[in-house]
Amino acid sequence: MISLSKLLCETAAAGDGLRYGDPSDVPQITEEKQRRPVVVWNVTRGCNLACQHCYASAEAERADGELSTAEGKRLLDDLAEYGVPVVLFSGGEPLVRDDLTELVAYARERGIRPVLSTNGTLLTPDRARALRDAGLAYAGVSVDGLATANDTFRGREGAFDAAVRGIEACLDVGLKTGLRYTVTERTVDDLEGVVDLLHDVGVDRFCFYHLDYGGRGGDIVDADLNPERRREVVRRLCDLTREYHADGSPIETLLVGNYADGGFVVEYARDELGDEAAERIYAALRRNGGDPAGDRVADIDYHGNVHPTQFWQGYALGNVRDRPFGAIWEDESNPLLARLRDRELSGKCVDCCYRDICGGGSPLRSLTVHGDPLAPDPQCYLTEAERRGEPPVAVPEPTAEPGD
Amino acid sequence: MTDGPRDATEREWELFRRASVEGPLTHVGSVTAPSAPVAYEQAATLFPEAADLWLCPADETRRYASEALGARAKGDEDGTDEGGMADGDRKGTVPEPSEVDA
Repeated sequence: MISLSKLLCETAAAGDGLRYGDPSDVPQITEEKQRRPVVVWNVTRGCNLACQHCYASAEAERADGELSTAEGKRLLDDLAEYGVPVVLFSGGEPLVRDDLTELVAYARERGIRPVLSTNGTLLTPDRARALRDAGLAYAGVSVDGLATANDTFRGREGAFDAAVRGIEACLDVGLKTGLRYTVTERTVDDLEGVVDLLHDVGVDRFCFYHLDYGGRGGDIVDADLNPERRREVVRRLCDLTREYHADGSPIETLLVGNYADGGFVVEYARDELGDEAAERIYAALRRNGGDPAGDRVADIDYHGNVHPTQFWQGYALGNVRDRPFGAIWEDESNPLLARLRDRELSGKCVDCCYRDICGGGSPLRSLTVHGDPLAPDPQCYLTEAERRGEPPVAVPEPTAEPGD
Repeated sequence: MTDGPRDATEREWELFRRASVEGPLTHVGSVTAPSAPVAYEQAATLFPEAADLWLCPADETRRYASEALGARAKGDEDGTDEGGMADGDRKGTVPEPSEVDA
């Protein structure tokens, strides 16, 4: 994730320590835990919606043999012992599991920060309160447009209104809640309207996802933005973030799923904020690293399969029913896992000046389009001039001579 | 044993790779695919350097693991499991590949 608000407006949030190693007054996740991946756990296949882009290919019914409550708790024990800092409960729709609150509470008890990815439609005031009391740290609610576009994209009439009610239920009980928005040609026109509406509701965190090509997301590649459109959208999000901050509303905005964003944001900063800001942002993004698949992010599905990222459900490194998560994640005898971490890039990435802050982008998109997970990300939207330019490098402060 | 279902949408294939003909065959995860040829195609894309690739249907694999999650999940034995399905429930309901949506 790339925090536009942090980079462009210099505001800190709880996850920034994981991303940028930047100490601030905001309590940060400890340095020791920064070495371990954030784990997405798809606790169920079941979902009450039918989203066009669902990477998990969720269906109405839960799958046979999903990890049980007891297995889930033992998994959380494993993750805690390994030092995983954050578990993102996802699905399907995680709220279709009656034991979700119990699992959230157990994660919190074991020292893991529990967060939630949900479509929001099942977030009643009672469930929001129970999740807050269980220690849920954050609820990210997916909305992909205003009512008409969202309900079409997410496969159920009334989903938008229900999600907004769910967001309000969370905010009413004091549960930190944010928006998750996947930007495609089918959703992009409503983006600003949704931000404005939800900001009025009280939301102050907005995450914008680029489309990845996993699950049903691979069926709508034709709806993905072209490079020119993507540049317009990301530029608008940069401007929008700064406008909100300038108006006294310090919203948090993040870009997710395409690390070419890093190079674009550096170029944006150079044009709009000057060389010093561009240098600072480039340095922060270098500390963060590029695409996290197989390294800083892991996924465990409802059957216990461990994937290099939540979007890449078609390949599993192993299964936690057979072997502890840490053993699977540490096993670089698997040459694919080692390659994902080494990131020996090819093609136009080789001499790209932003390769260190991008890492070649999404290996799943590269695999889908080019048949090679380390080929250049087909969604890269940097121009050739930007790729071949010079990244900003901070000039060291002159040191004082002895006797000065 | 740890033989619960491994995928609900298509068949799961355990994947074994040999780096060279002299080397050992090692497990390198699993791929999801409707058939062995498609699974092989995926595996060969992910492991292009492999000398040999073997595929075994995950639901035909018997696993005897020393660190199996089920054996470590104490709640399964004491009846505290309320949200998921117990082992006994799932063993009889493994979906046949032909019955699963692709």
